Amino acid sequence: MSREHALNDWYAVADVPGLTRGPRKARLLGCDLRVSGQVDDPVVTDEAGHRYPAQVRYDHIWTTLGDDPRALFEIPEGEQPGRRRVPCGVVRVKCSPLRAVENFLDIAHFPFVHTDILGAEPHTEVMAYKAEIREEEDEVWATNISFYQPQAAKSAGGGITTKYAYRVHAPTTAVLYKTCPPRPEEMDVIAIFVQPRSETECDVWPWMALYDDSSEFAELVQFQQEIFLQDRSILENQRPTRLPLDPKMEIPTRADLTSIAYRRWLKRRGAYYGAMTEDA
Amino acid sequence: MSTLPVGLSRDLSAKRVMRATVGGQDLVVWRATNGEISAWDNRCPHRGMALSHGFVRGNTLACLYHGWHYNGAGTCTYIPAHPDLDPPATIRTNRFSVVEQDGVIWVRTDGEAQAPDLPGGLEPLRVFIVAASADQVQCGAAQVPYEGQMADAGAVLHFGAVSVMLLLSPLGDGRTQVTTLASAGLTVAQRSALSRWCEATRRHVEAQQEEAA
Ligand code: FES
Ligand SMILES: [Fe+2]
Repeated sequence: MSREHALNDWYAVADVPGLTRGPRKARLLGCDLRVSGQVDDPVVTDEAGHRYPAQVRYDHIWTTLGDDPRALFEIPEGEQPGRRRVPCGVVRVKCSPLRAVENFLDIAHFPFVHTDILGAEPHTEVMAYKAEIREEEDEVWATNISFYQPQAAKSAGGGITTKYAYRVHAPTTAVLYKTCPPRPEEMDVIAIFVQPRSETECDVWPWMALYDDSSEFAELVQFQQEIFLQDRSILENQRPTRLPLDPKMEIPTRADLTSIAYRRWLKRRGAYYGAMTEDA
Repeated sequence: MSTLPVGLSRDLSAKRVMRATVGGQDLVVWRATNGEISAWDNRCPHRGMALSHGFVRGNTLACLYHGWHYNGAGTCTYIPAHPDLDPPATIRTNRFSVVEQDGVIWVRTDGEAQAPDLPGGLEPLRVFIVAASADQVQCGAAQVPYEGQMADAGAVLHFGAVSVMLLLSPLGDGRTQVTTLASAGLTVAQRSALSRWCEATRRHVEAQQEEAA
């Protein structure tokens, strides 16, 4: 049942630099795929040779296995001129794709998991912020978040209080807007595109669209990779592996408003792939 | 499930945290700065992180993910995201009964732990894991010579003046954790010879399983 719903979303299954090097294998929702062709005409097929729709957006190759796919989301800010678009490679994590997204939406872990980069004790307090399900867009939004960060980005010279906003458009993709250290009036865009290999394993593709003219491409990728590797050590040690949607199973606090809204939103749309429900 | 050994007291000094298993139950066992020991379900009530990755702060265990603190009673005492909040008393870990006796840490997951009375004159040697059931380990161990001698069968194996006792905890996945006690006051050479005997026992029992399979 849960897989049924997941079939009609779009998923990143390769990045443009990867496809340029040649055909790649990918696993999506338990199905083995091959990604080949050119960047202007990508081809996604399964082992039986069946061809699936493919499109290139945000430096990644996207596909869907369903007959009635929902629209791929827009990140208008990501396309503004002057930004550097950085596909950050892939991190494989043995966890539910939904736990990976939830971790991305969480700021309270920064001082403990990304110590001295995205957070540091004693600056652990999460100030009141707003999280909501926006009915019109059918998206989860969290706004008005601010947090003290010792090294908010590669481009940050030192500690700053960073402003954050999160947006979830599909169960396995999320976008973060955060203060851009060199241009305080603009927001950097960081997204994760999670490719569910199964309910308990995923490939995570971080992607950024930044105003940063001074860092090397490789440095930017490395900065993001380091952060995701730290998250992986958490994600592979959460139990149960699948995300519990039953509010009785895990105890949230005010700092978890985004996670609460995300779980509620997953539940009401029936997005149970990678989740545990009351009756499961 | 009875009271079973999960490790040795000397391997868990103050402020240390370890992971253990009994009968399929994943545990975090940790010792506070004041020496008090606790054994809990290895899962943080907040977002399910394994508490065995946590760290001891004073007399509390802090979860690695968001730093929530839990005291020896398993009650959450501090949530770093809300430093001024008194956490509701309902936030608590799932605790198990734990006792220390004869240098061994004993846990029971379904009642009050009570360590058995062991024969005197023994002290902990080492802990090892065998891919076989407790019965298979017990039988196999009596077939492995120590320094050329076979043991007289029994709960305690006697190799002349050297005695060994194996405490067996089924891990719940077909493997067995073996806590070995040996005569007190052995020489370093005797202890390392016994440690090699443990290794030989493990190989012997696992080879028997492979043959049977
Ligand atoms: S999961 Fe343990 S503090 Fe959040
Ligand atoms: Fe993180």
